[in-house]
Order: sequence, then C-alpha cells, then structure tokens
Amino acid sequence: MLPTGVNFATYAGEARLLKTARSRVLLALLLAALLAAPLASGPYVLGVAVQGFIALIAVLGLHVTVGMAGQINIAQSAFVGVGAFATAKLSGYGLPFWVVVPLAAIVTGMVSVLFALPAARVKGFYLALTTLAAQVLFPIVILGLPTEWLGGLVGMPVEPLVVGGFTISSPRQFYYFTLVLAVVMTAAAFNLHRSGFGRALKAVRDNDVAAQVMGVDVLRTKIYAFFVGSLFAGVAGACTAWFLQFVTIESFTLFASIWYLGMLIVGGAHSPIGAILGVLFITVFQEGLHEVGTMIMRSNAREAGGAIFAATNIALGASILLVLIFEPRGLAHRWTVLKNTIQLWPFPHR
Amino acid sequence: MKSVIKQSLAAAAIVVAGVFPAKAAEYVMSASADYSGPFADVMPSAMSGIQAVTNWWNKEVGKGLGVKVDIKISDMRYDAAVIARTWPSILSRDNPIMHLGFGSPDLTTLMKRLPTDKVPMLIGTAMVGLVWQPKGWHFSIRPTYSHEFAALFSKMQKDKGSKLLIGAVSTQTAAGFVDQVKGVEKLAATYPDRFEVVDTQWVAASPVTVTSNIRAMMEKKPDVILVGGTTAQVIATASALEDLKLNIPIVSSSHNGLSEAAKGIDLAKLNGSYSVFSFAPDNQKDLPLREIYQANKDKDGQWGLIADQSAAQALLALRVLERAVAKVGADKVTGEAMYDALLANTFTEKELLGALPALKFNDTAPFPIGDIKAKAQIVKDGKIVPLGDAWMDAPALEKW
Repeated sequence: MLPTGVNFATYAGEARLLKTARSRVLLALLLAALLAAPLASGPYVLGVAVQGFIALIAVLGLHVTVGMAGQINIAQSAFVGVGAFATAKLSGYGLPFWVVVPLAAIVTGMVSVLFALPAARVKGFYLALTTLAAQVLFPIVILGLPTEWLGGLVGMPVEPLVVGGFTISSPRQFYYFTLVLAVVMTAAAFNLHRSGFGRALKAVRDNDVAAQVMGVDVLRTKIYAFFVGSLFAGVAGACTAWFLQFVTIESFTLFASIWYLGMLIVGGAHSPIGAILGVLFITVFQEGLHEVGTMIMRSNAREAGGAIFAATNIALGASILLVLIFEPRGLAHRWTVLKNTIQLWPFPHR
Repeated sequence: MKSVIKQSLAAAAIVVAGVFPAKAAEYVMSASADYSGPFADVMPSAMSGIQAVTNWWNKEVGKGLGVKVDIKISDMRYDAAVIARTWPSILSRDNPIMHLGFGSPDLTTLMKRLPTDKVPMLIGTAMVGLVWQPKGWHFSIRPTYSHEFAALFSKMQKDKGSKLLIGAVSTQTAAGFVDQVKGVEKLAATYPDRFEVVDTQWVAASPVTVTSNIRAMMEKKPDVILVGGTTAQVIATASALEDLKLNIPIVSSSHNGLSEAAKGIDLAKLNGSYSVFSFAPDNQKDLPLREIYQANKDKDGQWGLIADQSAAQALLALRVLERAVAKVGADKVTGEAMYDALLANTFTEKELLGALPALKFNDTAPFPIGDIKAKAQIVKDGKIVPLGDAWMDAPALEKW
C-alpha cells in the first residue's frame, strides 16, 4: 500500500525497492545510524551486533528456502558450519577474504544440494527429516574425515581476517565488516522477491502442481532454493569463523538451527523484513535480559546468579510465546500494519 | 627551627597516614560462569567457591598487602560465540589481571587471544591433551584427565600386583572425552607390562542403556571400567553392571563423579567405584579450605566437589597474585606480571592449604609439570569417602 498520489510512469519505477523519496531518506538515515553506532557503543554491544548481523545473514537464507520456496530446513546451522569450516580451510591457504567468502558460500551451496534432492519426492515433515539428517551428518562427516583435513574433533584455528592489508580483530572492525555483508545480503534477499526466480520460488511454495503447469521447473527450483539459501549460510559461516577464530563442530548444533528457524517464525517467514525483525527481536531480548541479569549479579546479588539467569530465560521464553500468541503472522505483519497506518495518516481507512 | 618544622611535618604525615590509610590497589579477576547453559545447576556452587576464597583472601592477606581483588563474573553460557563477543568487553570494562575460565569453550575461544591480550587464564577443570601446546597463556590447576586416571590406575595396578586390564566407556561426539581415552591408551603403550586397554565402547553422551556394550566388554575381562565422559554414562554403566550381576569398579572424574552420579542412582550400586582428580576431596578431614568456604561464602552454593574445585582454582590465582605483588609492587600488577609470577614460582602444598599438591608451571604445557599427583574418592557401604589421605603419583606420560 502506497500513500495517495504516488504513482509510476514506468514498470522500472514500480519495481524499485525504494519507491518513494521518503523511504530512500529513511533508509539513508538508518544506514547512517548503523555506521555511527560504534561511536556510542562498547565492545559488548558491538559483539552482540556482530552476532546479530551473522544471524541475520543465516536467517535471510532460511527465508529464501523456507519463506519463499516453502521447503522446510532445520539444518541451517550445519550449513553455516560448512561455510565456517570452508573458510577456516581456505583462509589457511592464504587466500584473500574476497575469494574466501564467495568460495565458502559456493561450497556450502553445493553441499546443500545433496540434501535438496529428496525435496523432489517429499514435502513438509518428511522434508524436515531429510534436512535433520544433514544436521546430524554434519559432525559425523567432520569426525570421519582425516584429522589433518578439517581438524576432526579438535577443530581448526582460523587465520585472522585481513581486509586491504589491515587485520580485522577489534569488535568495531568486525562490526563494519559484518554490517557491509549483512547490507549486501539483505539487498540480495529483497531483490530476489522481484526477480523471475523469486516468483518461481513463491509459485512452488503456494502450489507446486500449478507452478509446474505454468512452466516452472519445480525440481530445479526446489534445489535452487536450498542452494541460494545455503549461499547465505556460507557467508554467515565465513563471518562466524573469523569472529570465533577457531571452529569446532560444537558451535553448529541442531539447537542453533532451531533458533534460526524460531527467529524466522517470530519475525514472519514470508518477508525479508520478517527475518530482520525476528533477529532483532530475539537478539535484543535475549541479550538485553542477559545483560540485565549480569548487571544485577554484579551489583548487589553476586551470588544469586542461578536464580537471576533462570528468571531471564523464563522471561525470554514468555516474550516469544506472547509474540506468537498475539501476532501469529509474525512481526513483519505488525510492521506492515504500522507502516500503512503511518502512510495513510490522517485517514483511518484505505 | 628548620629541623623542628621537618619533624613536625613528618609527625603530621604519620598521623595523616594512620587516620587516612592508603587506598588498597584494586584488581579484577574475571570469571566465566554458565548460569544458562548445560552446567547451570552446579554454577552457584562453582562461583561460590571462587567468591568465598576471594572474600577470605581480601580480609586475611590482601589487606596486609594493600591489594583488593574483585571477582567479575560473566555468564558465558558455555558457548564459544558468547565468549567471543563477551571477552573484548571484559578486557575494556574490567581490565582483568587473570581470567578464571570454565571448560573447553573458554579454551578454544580464548587460547589464541590471551597471549596478545596479555591476560593469563587459569581453569579449574582438568586439561585435555588437545590443547597441550607450548607458549600458551591458558593453564589449569589440574593436569589432563588422563594423568589423573593414570595416578589411580597406577595405585590399583600396584595393589593388584599384575597387569591392570582397563575397559573404557566414552562418546565420540565430544573431543575432550575421546582425548581422555587416547591418553589412557598412551599410558598403556608407555607401560605395557602394567596396563592394557582391553576394550573401548563408544556410546551416546546420554545413553538409555549400555548393557549390551558392557556385556561385549566383559568378554575381555577388564579389572576396571573407565567412564570419563558424562554422569549419564556413569549411571548407565552402573545399571548395566547390576543387570549383568557384575562387580567391577567404575572410575570417573570430578565433573561426572560419584557425588554427581549419586543424584541419579543409589550410591550402594556404586560400591567400590572411584572418582579421581588432582585436588583434595571435599570430604577430606583437616581441609582448611572447607572452613574458609563455610566462613566466607555469601548466598548461593553449597560445599561439595564443585565448590572445592573452584575454591582451589581461586586460591592458586590469589597465591600467584601474592608473588606478583612481591615482584612488581602492590600497585603495578598486570596480566603479564601474573603470567610471569605463575611460571617463575613453585606453589607449595602448604600455601595451597592442602587443597592442591605442590605446583610448578612452565611454558611447555598448560598444566602443572613435574611430579603429577591426584587424590580419589571411593564408595564404601553406600557412602563417598576419601581414598586415603596421601596424594597418588601419576606415572610420567609423553604427549599423545
């Protein structure tokens, strides 16, 4: 829904991501705020932001596979792990980051194709089980490979990230690095929606028989959905590897996959805005409660950490439940309603 | 006249110094906790051990040195990602002179950063051979799990008089647990006339039953079953032995030891089984650390093996601080001074209040070097009791 008076003379104008001058100004302001944020933030907040950007990239990938194509994937953390191990290995060869990131993404995408093949025959819960197999197989394969390949049980150290001759090591440097990647991947996710491929994904999601009748190659589209979603996971894995400086299978668990899926569901699966809002909501709430718990523990209840952090976990769970009860379509729907209300103001009705 | 003024000024200075004593130099030791992860249930006791000993030290030792230590606890959730993002803020906000770590996520995430950040880390859990690397700034108050097991196996072998046959139950999904078995295999390879690992059964981390595994193991007739992994594995192994009507001792560590297993199984079923670790058992008689804990603990937590271990961890850290103060002065202690003090000194059993054996560190290993010792607990008549008063010597082990 656009404000009254906004119309387009060309298709290109209507197809723009940012259709009005106001939206372009608001985005510019948001980017400026994100660029300026480190000036007013401590290293902990920047660390949380880095983790948030990494999670956003992974959840955007999940949005492509699950939200756009309707292919359930509960192995996104394993795919992030593939990207992380690929990055650890490739950076060990001295390759620059601009080679490592795309290569890690492509390797991850290729691996995901193996688990996308069953999507040709199964749907829904059955497909969920095949992706669960990917999550379960991930550590088994790493452990089964010769230790000198990917470190086996021990894991692998990661060479420091070097960009333009500068070693990226401080939280502020990581913030800017992951911010740039998050912005690029977010733009890519938005762009997918207005591409022919994006429309094919949504056609398959809505009715794959009808999509096939219309000429969409359903099998290929489903495989591409996993491939593209895992490209995002690969980029997130690369960032994770450089941020942690050491990769082990213990960092890429089923639990993490479920968190990614939870972020997408809370935010709203069908829109990149949902991925952004889901990551923002869960990260801010989880870390906010955690920080409050830490502050209380450090101030006057030093020894009562057990009770404090149990309470923060209960509060986090309750907040997620409340969001799902009162806005089951995800925060993205609430965002759309709010945006429309503002755009149509002072008129209450469309 | 001049001398009168001088004397008056000097006297005034003494009076002022007496009325307004110099402010103690304050240092932070940061500590990793896991209040919202897999070890949340034991964390109040673990942190209370650190805090109680620090409270005591500040009153009894620090005051005299003009030094006060503040423990800053951070909940790391036993998660490498949380540690990676929290550590920079600990450095900038707390400026710690030493970090009291907890478990393998701290090790893998921080061991490459610590030498650059110039902050040594001391952990209370036993080491693993995986991170047995020189020139690190990560240390444990304890040797590797395998060293600790070796000390008990050595005693058992001497008591038996012939080769000790060891069976092992572990899991392949945790690097540290596999490493324990590899270390014991190294022990058997180093002393083939004394030890033999006859069988290893790889099971799930939380198995429902291991009866078929134990039945298969029994064909090799082990004298003892090593279960160094999880408490669930200890309980499953004890149940399997009961099902099979067998009476073979189980050897566990501190994290999965007798007191932990007792929460899930009748201790009578563990009669004759052991926990082994390189610090004094919590129920050892004449353990001053226990009295210090009881007199100085704040709110949460209770005395037990976990509090005992973390109290010993804090005690060593504070003894290192004493040596650093002696070397560089009360107001000039840095992480680097702590690192130097840790490596340059021997810490006697007496100054460690009998909670730890005499310890000496160098930069070749992340754990105490020289004569490695351990103590154990055993279940007798359904009760956990110390296995003697003396430290058991661990046979020398090369890196595996």
